Amino acid sequence: MIKKYWSLLTVIILAAMIMSACATATTAPVATVEPTATTGAPVTITIWHQWSGDYLTAIQAVFTQYMTDHPTVTIVLDAPQDVPSALQVAIPAGEGPDIIGWANDAIGKYAINGYITDLGTLGVTQDFLTSTYEPAAVNGVVWQDKIWALPESQEAIAIVYNKAVVSEADFPTDPTDFTGLLDKAKSYAEANPGKYLVCNQGLGGADPYHEAPIYFGFGVPGYVDDAGNVFLNTPEATAAGTWIKDFSAYAPQEASYDICNAGMTDGTFAGWWTGPWAIANLESAGIDYGILPMGKPFVGIKTLMITKNAADRNTADIALDIIKYYTNQANETQVALANKTIPANTAALNDPQIQALSTIKGFGASANLGIPMANTPYADAQWGPVGDATQAIWNGSQTPEEALAAAQTAIETAIAGMK
Amino acid sequence: MIAWSGRRKALMILAFIGPTLLGILFLNIYPIIYNVFISFTNRNQYHPNPDCSVLVTSIIEPKCWPFFKASTGLGTPYTIQSPAFANYETLIGQLATRPGLIAIAEILLCVVPLIVAGQVNKYYNRKISRPISGSGVWIIGLALTILIGWLVNFPNALDQLQTDSDFFIVVFRTILFVAITVPINYIFGLAVALVLNTEYIKGRTFFRTAMIIPWAASTMFIIMSLVWQFFFRDVGVINQLLKIVGINGPTWLNSPTYAFAIIILVNLWFSYPFCFTVILGALQAIPADQYEAAEIDGATYWQQLVNITLPLIRPAVVPAIVLSAIGAGGFQMFGTVWAITTGGPSRGAGVPGATELVMVYAYKQVFQFNAYAKAGAFAVIIFIFLFIMTIYSLRITRITEGAFE
Repeated sequence: MIKKYWSLLTVIILAAMIMSACATATTAPVATVEPTATTGAPVTITIWHQWSGDYLTAIQAVFTQYMTDHPTVTIVLDAPQDVPSALQVAIPAGEGPDIIGWANDAIGKYAINGYITDLGTLGVTQDFLTSTYEPAAVNGVVWQDKIWALPESQEAIAIVYNKAVVSEADFPTDPTDFTGLLDKAKSYAEANPGKYLVCNQGLGGADPYHEAPIYFGFGVPGYVDDAGNVFLNTPEATAAGTWIKDFSAYAPQEASYDICNAGMTDGTFAGWWTGPWAIANLESAGIDYGILPMGKPFVGIKTLMITKNAADRNTADIALDIIKYYTNQANETQVALANKTIPANTAALNDPQIQALSTIKGFGASANLGIPMANTPYADAQWGPVGDATQAIWNGSQTPEEALAAAQTAIETAIAGMK
Repeated sequence: MIAWSGRRKALMILAFIGPTLLGILFLNIYPIIYNVFISFTNRNQYHPNPDCSVLVTSIIEPKCWPFFKASTGLGTPYTIQSPAFANYETLIGQLATRPGLIAIAEILLCVVPLIVAGQVNKYYNRKISRPISGSGVWIIGLALTILIGWLVNFPNALDQLQTDSDFFIVVFRTILFVAITVPINYIFGLAVALVLNTEYIKGRTFFRTAMIIPWAASTMFIIMSLVWQFFFRDVGVINQLLKIVGINGPTWLNSPTYAFAIIILVNLWFSYPFCFTVILGALQAIPADQYEAAEIDGATYWQQLVNITLPLIRPAVVPAIVLSAIGAGGFQMFGTVWAITTGGPSRGAGVPGATELVMVYAYKQVFQFNAYAKAGAFAVIIFIFLFIMTIYSLRITRITEGAFE
């Protein structure tokens, strides 16, 4: 008898699950109401970002001004430790940010996952983009003929050196002269025990972005191209790997943003292979710096994307208004002057004050040599394998040939999974 | 006295246990079913969303349920792999091939002498006299194991299994970690407990409390792990101290061997207080007259330790050892390793890092590579492995024996 009820219970539970599953799996219908800001009701816009330190201060000032101009809008800046992982939990649950501040290489992945909104559906046109922003920045936010973000700034890394410790003559004049850089790093390390000419935060860790100037400087056309071709089992990549191994004798064995920053401040490192985001901290530390292009870096576009959830919450229009405000000429000029970034806004970039900045010349010269960072999902396959391979070369676990061949295979396998 | 009809009685029982059953179904059974289902698909960062028009998917996948948001991403939905067990094949590499099976047979062959030695000792333990001591049997068994290992080329068999197989690499490494860390933790805990159990130590209470501090600190293990990481940084405390005596210390965390040793050391620091506490409690339960009688018989300290102390603390310590081995300080180790090395240093692209234990590997597959299906298959294999281990440990420790008495 009891068995009969057990069976009944099981059938009821299964039926309940099937009925719930068969229900139409759609989102709640989007109410046709006006954006909250226009109706005067308070609204909170959350931005997930990766800005930090003094660099964040100038950005915060822009959003504070927006809130002053729009008293019903509250902008919350939040920097979760691992934004990509946090997004995959938050977005399906209908939580998380309205705006994501991230580099353009994530666009393909986020679009595939359904995290971000096509800004074309919110009224952003290609004409608006091309008339407002730099061509390279426009290319960086368009994928599959759709606009996925507004560009904030362009960035490329270069060697930032401490003028109180070394001069321009301590670095090669030719940005692709890696033999010269190795010789000079060796001479400097031998003459100054315990100190190093350059700290590259990518070496000693797994950071292909900061390693890129070396690989590309040796002639690798990119880790992966838009068609999914991989270029790591090439003679150029092997030459770069060999140089990295040689360079490890004259560079800090462990490096990170914080280690390089601290070493620059206390004089342990004469130079730092870094980008505009580090300048605000160096200026706060009172360091008189110069910027020299070295190698061929990735040229990335910092962007602001609007999430699917903002569209569902009816906050997308306000979010768009905020990112347009943030990337307008006046604000881009203000932020660039404070943070020494290269604005994506054409009018801001052409502003005489901006053009007079030494950072624009230094990082701009590096960007001119650089390789644009792709926004296809294939780009996502490059980071792990290149980082692991370079770390294995650095710590001697593998020869450059072995490490880069393994990275080639790993990326090709990942791309085959996408295709 | 109420005379219940069969139906009323059944309904009443159902009303009482129904909520519990539902809880078990949704909290215990459903996640396992979901994980097994995902392990047969190609779900990854490029195929992140379900095809809710497929009946099975629409039932199992929460994203298809009405109270979750349907995805509108551009990615094509994930589907069942072809063949369905492709993820398992990827993980276990050459296990299903002829060389893989031969390698497994060779490894098992090496263990046979030890199993036989155990059985021989078990047999002679029941006899009044024995032709050879228990230690002698073990030594012969070990010697035969080494001999067979040499004959079948044991390292080569291990390499064979690890070719194209993340699973065997991380599982072997984790077993090695457990095999080193658990004995070290308990030997250290035993040594400290023996010292602090003697009545000659003044201020025993203070020292006992001080010994437990690392255990208390383990509630904030991330911070403490980062402190240890700082000790072993290239410019960290250890290398600074070595520099004072004229030694240029290595880059500890960049060396696969040193990094592995460091996570064992830090785990010792976190774990020995637990071992110490368990053993100290067991030591205090041993009646003093046992030692008095042994002293009268002229037993040495070592004889007392081997013949009285260790056998009498065994019932308390063995379950603790087993739980340590399969718990968060052993096979399921994650936090300390993640905080100190994040599974590195790298041994190259496409292969697990030098300290990538099973939980770190699973975490990286999910959160760094978004390889949900592969991680799901990995979890299923580990689940089966741990389930067998748990059943075996329950048997050897007889933890649940009382439940049947």
